[in-house]
Order: sequence, then structure tokens, then C-alpha cells
Amino acid sequence: MDFTLVELDDDHRQLQQEIRTFLEGLFTPDVFAEEHETGSGYNKKVYEELGARGWLYPEKPVEEGGAGFDLVAERIMDLELFRQDARVMMMRGTSSLPLKAIRKYMPADVADPILKDAVEGRVLVCLGYSEPDGGSDIANAKVRAVQDGDMWTINGSKMWTTGAHVSNYTFLVTRTDPDAPKHKGITMFLVPLDTPGVTIQGIRTFSGERTNIVYYEDVVIHDKYRVGGINDGWNVLHGPLDEEHSIGLDMSGGLTDLSIGAGFCRVLGRAINEVAEWAHKTPAPDGSSLADDVQVRERLGAAMVEYEAGLCTPGPMGRVKASDALVQQSASLIDLMGPVGLLPLHADGAVGEADTEYAHRFAQGTATYGGTVEVFRTIIANHVLGLPKPNYPGAKVFMAGKKK
Amino acid sequence: MDLLELRRQDYSLDEDHQLLLTAFGEFFSEQSPTSLVRECEPLGFSQDLWNRLVEMGGTSMGLPESVGGDGAGMIELTLVAEEFGRAIAPVPYIEHTVTARALAAAGESTVLPAALDGSHIVALASFPVQAGSPQLVPAGAVARSVLALVGDDLVLFTVDTPPAHVVNQGSTPLAWWDFDAIADRAVLATGARAHEIYDRAHDERMTLTAAALVGLTEPALNIAVEFSKTRETMGVPIATLQGVSFPMTDVAIAIAGARNVARKAAWYLEHAPDERPELPAIAMVYASQTATKGTQVTAHLQGGLGFTIEADASLYFLRSKGWGALAGDPQAKLIAIGDHVLNTVN
Ligand SMILES: Cc1cc2nc3c(=O)[nH]c(=O)nc-3n(C[C@H](O)[C@H](O)[C@H](O)COP(=O)(O)OP(=O)(O)OC[C@H]3O[C@@H](n4cnc5c(N)ncnc54)[C@H](O)[C@@H]3O)c2cc1C
Repeated sequence: MDFTLVELDDDHRQLQQEIRTFLEGLFTPDVFAEEHETGSGYNKKVYEELGARGWLYPEKPVEEGGAGFDLVAERIMDLELFRQDARVMMMRGTSSLPLKAIRKYMPADVADPILKDAVEGRVLVCLGYSEPDGGSDIANAKVRAVQDGDMWTINGSKMWTTGAHVSNYTFLVTRTDPDAPKHKGITMFLVPLDTPGVTIQGIRTFSGERTNIVYYEDVVIHDKYRVGGINDGWNVLHGPLDEEHSIGLDMSGGLTDLSIGAGFCRVLGRAINEVAEWAHKTPAPDGSSLADDVQVRERLGAAMVEYEAGLCTPGPMGRVKASDALVQQSASLIDLMGPVGLLPLHADGAVGEADTEYAHRFAQGTATYGGTVEVFRTIIANHVLGLPKPNYPGAKVFMAGKKK
Repeated sequence: MDLLELRRQDYSLDEDHQLLLTAFGEFFSEQSPTSLVRECEPLGFSQDLWNRLVEMGGTSMGLPESVGGDGAGMIELTLVAEEFGRAIAPVPYIEHTVTARALAAAGESTVLPAALDGSHIVALASFPVQAGSPQLVPAGAVARSVLALVGDDLVLFTVDTPPAHVVNQGSTPLAWWDFDAIADRAVLATGARAHEIYDRAHDERMTLTAAALVGLTEPALNIAVEFSKTRETMGVPIATLQGVSFPMTDVAIAIAGARNVARKAAWYLEHAPDERPELPAIAMVYASQTATKGTQVTAHLQGGLGFTIEADASLYFLRSKGWGALAGDPQAKLIAIGDHVLNTVN
């Protein structure tokens, strides 16, 4: 156990200063304005300038376009990005997930330039998993890919392909054998999004984040864009999926977050601080400060308990706990503030940076994307508690309904 | 609060911690089976188990070496408390440990040697002493001395024979102490120092109680998990129903988190007590919620059976409150936690 403050040596201290100064210059008001407007979780200038320094994926070795950061340096970078409230960095996380599969399964002459451009901030890869019929059951994908010699023709539609409108490729789950059991008829592709037949339509969420529906109409791509074996897609997918559900143990000596929902907790932490500052500045009806009001103190205390619980709950369990905590406590904090808690950033009289108002909207997505909290509970029930899996009729069905 | 602090977040246990956990885990599971727990009702005390715990070093480990103890810190004590809770052992481990440590901190030397060897059990009053109002003292029916705040004095009250036990939901050795009537009283500290020692003991008690409540909830969950795998409805095990499996999953999630909060609180008490003074209360509140909900959910999952005295689920359920409410309303601590938050932004 160790919760000590990390003592920075001269090199790390210097790096921290360098990163801070650089990010301050990089995250100009127009970056925030653009993000507010588009909700893309991406900014071209930011990604390219970070990429040029090896700071987009700084943990990668210099040969691979990173900066060879150690764990302390990586943590410094994460905290400095958080200081900037860098919502535009969202697509970096998404885009990083398929990179390992691309390196592992694709021929070097195809993979290498893509990986180089991705690390340098010029190429983004989005995730084409979920479909309009349902995202929880990924293995049920219906987007069809049919082979004809060296070429494949893709038809169907994907829902919630976040970042498709700013990405170069989508890491696509397709159905290649409709007669095989559903997990065994899937093939993965890295589809260039500028291929004719691809249509991208924006969907706005009430947190401000944009995502997309993507239509594939007779989209023809070369076999070199296949990732892994034909009908072996479930295995290929599992790398990135497991990472998204990160079951990993902490090997970092406490320099990474224990809870994979730690990011949600930070959003709650900001809201807690904002409400505390607001309480100090706000007079109660009897002229005293709201910071002396018993209800205010108790509600802040309750939010703080949930914040700490979210941070202290390990791995995938922490994802569920932190999402629940954020959903419940952001709502409670808005109630506490009353109507002024409803005012968004820039509205007349909005509190602080309106972090609380934002947290309440943002919270709702955290229960859904990356696998819903119910899907996570199912995984925990099966793998941690060892409970038997329910025998649902669709669990192992053959896609075309044929018996084999 | 500072969200940008560059601190390690390492919750892992080293080898010594693991060994300690295993040693006390084995001790309590062998020496305190649920049959013993039942035998010791309603008092909730086994002299024989207490003697064995003393032999194990259970009463001396947390005291400084200067007074003959083993110098263990809060992390070690928290690990033992978790195993103690898992066995819902009928001994006043927490009360005695935190009070003896407070005596050592106050430089007390009359009672302390006998507290060290377990022959004189000591306990902590939960509320400041007020003339004319006796109070319920946890472990008060087996303790010969109780440490309490009287105004700005830290006072050790000692009796020859502890007052009579009162039956209570958790089957713990609760007793009414009428401090007005006790002549043998030693003032151990006054003013700020008195409050400092008492508050520290209170924080240690919250942290150890939190760990014990986590320990108590886990076997309750295990019983429910096993039951749900074999109990069938309409041809399927009830565990396959999400209305059954999800509540259990939430209990497992709460246990995993509450355990780490308690350990983290112990680490801060040990290494940086001024940095996160609100953590013991957070640990206590979250563990209390975890135990309350966890034992209710897991008893209920066994249907009518879980409502019977015969089912072991009842032992855990009755102690979730029986241990959790001993030092006063856990939720009331939210106010102090909120105050801390308000102080850190000002
Ligand atoms: C902002 C945002 C960004 C996203 N980004 C991406 C992305 O980049 N790429 C991508 O592929 N997807 C993305 N998703 C999709 C996301 O992964 C899915 O929304 C999610 O997996 C749920 O799928 P669904 O919306 O189709 O709901 P469904 O799967 O239809 O589920 C509906 C409800 O039923 C519950 N449910 C479903 N199955 C079970 C079960 N077995 N047990 C218990 N409850 C169940 C769910 O929890 C949910 O509450 C994004 C979603 C959002 C909102």
C-alpha cells in the first residue's frame, strides 16, 4: 500500500513544467469553443501538435512515434490534460484501442504507415461495433461482408460510431458466415471511411458529445484491410474489448487508476468542488452562509463518500460504481443548488464553469458506452461471483436461423 | 479538494500483510465458527476465544514496543479487523485495541499492563459524558475500564465488576455505564491533548469497524451466492435471474470498494494523519451502507429461510446494525465529511 505524494526528480519536474506550459499554449479558447460547438472529442491542431512531439501516445517508445514516457511522466501528462479539461482528447482513447490488433494481425506494409500516422496524430480510427438493432450483443452483428476474389463488399449500418466523421478508418465488426454459430461467423476489417458507399450522419447526445450512424452501401474494399482470419473476428475483437473492459491488474505501483471509472469520479470531484465554492459565496435566507447549512454539508458529505468509493473500487467493478455514483450524486448536487444548478456554461448567472450542470448530463452516457453497466454486472456475476449464465434463446443462435 | 495531486494509488498488500491476513483468517475461522457465535449469544463474549486471541498476540500487537507491545500500525490492525468481522467473533477486539492504544498515547501505566495481556478489558465511550445521563458503552458489559471525554478532560473510569449486560440486536456486550456513580476515575489528559487522543481513538474505531463490517458482509454474500446456484424456480437456478444476480453483484462491488476505502483510511491514519482527516468517517459510512444493504439483500435472497434464526444469514444481518450503530449514527458523519470538503475549497 502506498499513497505518498510522488517526489518528482529534476527531470520530471522540468517535464511537468514543459508539459504545462505547452498545453496552456495549445488549449486556446478557440479549441474549447470548437469542442463546445461540435462535440467531436477531437481537435486537428491539438492532435497534430501533440503527435509531432510524440506526446499523443507518449508512453510508446520513440521509435514508434511516442516519447518513451515512464509511468510518472505518463501520470503527469494525464493530470495536466485533466487540468485543461481536455474533452477533445476523447478520440485519442477510442482510437488507441484497435492499434494493437492492427499491429498484430495486419501485414506490415499496410499496418505500419497507418500506425505511424495514428501515433503522430494524423489518423484516427473509430469503433464500428454497435448496430441499430442493439449494441450489448456485439456478436449479433448483422453488417454483411461478402468476398469476391481479393475484394469484399460490405452492406448494412452501424450505430454510435463515435468519431466516424473525423476518423480515417473504422474498425468494423462484420458478418461473413451467416450460417455459423454467431461468434464464429464474424470478421474484422479496417475500412477506410473515404470509400464510396460510406455515408456518415451525425447524432447529438444531450451531454454535447456527437456520435454517428454510418451506412455501408455496396462498399468495396481490398482484402488487405481484413484484420485477422476470416470468421476469426471474435478472437481479434477480444483484445480491444478486454482492454475496454480492462480486467488488468495494477502493475504500475499505483501510478495508474485502480478504478476504470476514475475518470467519471473526477467529473464528480469537479462538481463537488464547484458546489462547495458556491455554498461559501451564497447567503442563506437568514443571512448566514449556505456553507453553514446542515443540509448542504450533509449532501456534500454524501457526494464525497460516493466519489471516494468510486475511486477505491477496482477494475471493471469500479466502472459500474463510478458511473452509479456520478449519475446519483450529480443529480443530488443539482437539486441542492436549485434553479441556478440548471444553468449551463455561459448562461447568465451560471455557477463557476457549470461543471455540475454538465456532470449531470455527461453522467448518463457513462452508464451506456463502452458496454452498459448491466453488461458489466453480467460479466461480474459470471466471472467474479461464478454465477451460472442464463440460458437465453438467442445466446448461441445461428444467424440465418438454420440448424447445423 | 485537490483533484490534481500526483499521489500513488497503490492498494496492494505486501507479503507481510498477506501473511498476517492468512494467519488471522485461519485463526478466526478455526476458533470462531458460527456455532461458537451462537453459543455466546446473547452476551457476545467468549472468554476462551479471548484468551486464545491474547495468545495469538491480538491484544498486544497494536501497542507500542515501548510498553511491551509489538508496534503494529493501523494497516495491520485493519487487516485483522476484517478477519475478525468475517468470523463475527464474540470478542471486543476493536474496542479494546483502540482504547489500549489511546491509553498508551496518554502515558497511562496503571491499567495498561493488564490491558496488554488481555486480563483487563478496556473500552471507549461513544459520547461525551453528561451528568445525569448514563450511556450505552460498546463492550461495556465485559470492560473494567472505559475511556471517556468529560468536558475537556480525558478520563479513565474503572470498576471492579462491569455493569450488567443489556440484550441488543447485535448480541454484543453492551451495558449502561452510569459515570456519575463511579469513584475510580483518572484524568489522563486535559484540553487540546485530551480531544486529540480521544478523536484519534474515535477515528481508529471507525476505521477498524469499517473493516470489520466489510469482513462481515462477505460471508453473508457467499452464503447467498451458493444458495442461488442450487435453488430453482421454474426449472432454472435463481442465480440466472438478473433480479437475483444483479443485487448480489452490487454487494460484491460495494465490498470490494469499501474494503479499499477502509485500508486507505488506515494508511492515511498511519502515515499522513493530517492529509485526509475525513477518510475514517468516509470508510465508516460506506462500510455501514455496504453491510446494511449487503446483509439485507443476501438474507432476502434466501426467501423465508433468510428470515429465520436458524439460517446463518441472520447472524450477519443482525450484526450489520448491531456493530454499525454502536458508535452513533454513521450517516451523521456525513456532515463532518461535508465540512472537510467545504474547508478544502476555502
Ligand atoms: C455517446 C455514445 C458513444 C458510443 N460510442 C460507440 C462507439 O464509438 N462505437 C460503438 O461501436 N458503439 C458505441 N456506443 C454504443 C454503445 O456501446 C451501446 O449504446 C451500448 O453497448 C448499448 O447498446 P444499445 O444502445 O444498442 O442498447 P441495447 O443493447 O439495446 O440495450 C438496451 C438496454 O437493455 C440493457 N440490456 C441489454 N442487454 C442486456 C443484458 N444481457 N442484460 C441486462 N440488460 C441488458 C442495456 O443495458 C440497456 O439498458 C456509444 C454509445 C453512446 C451513447
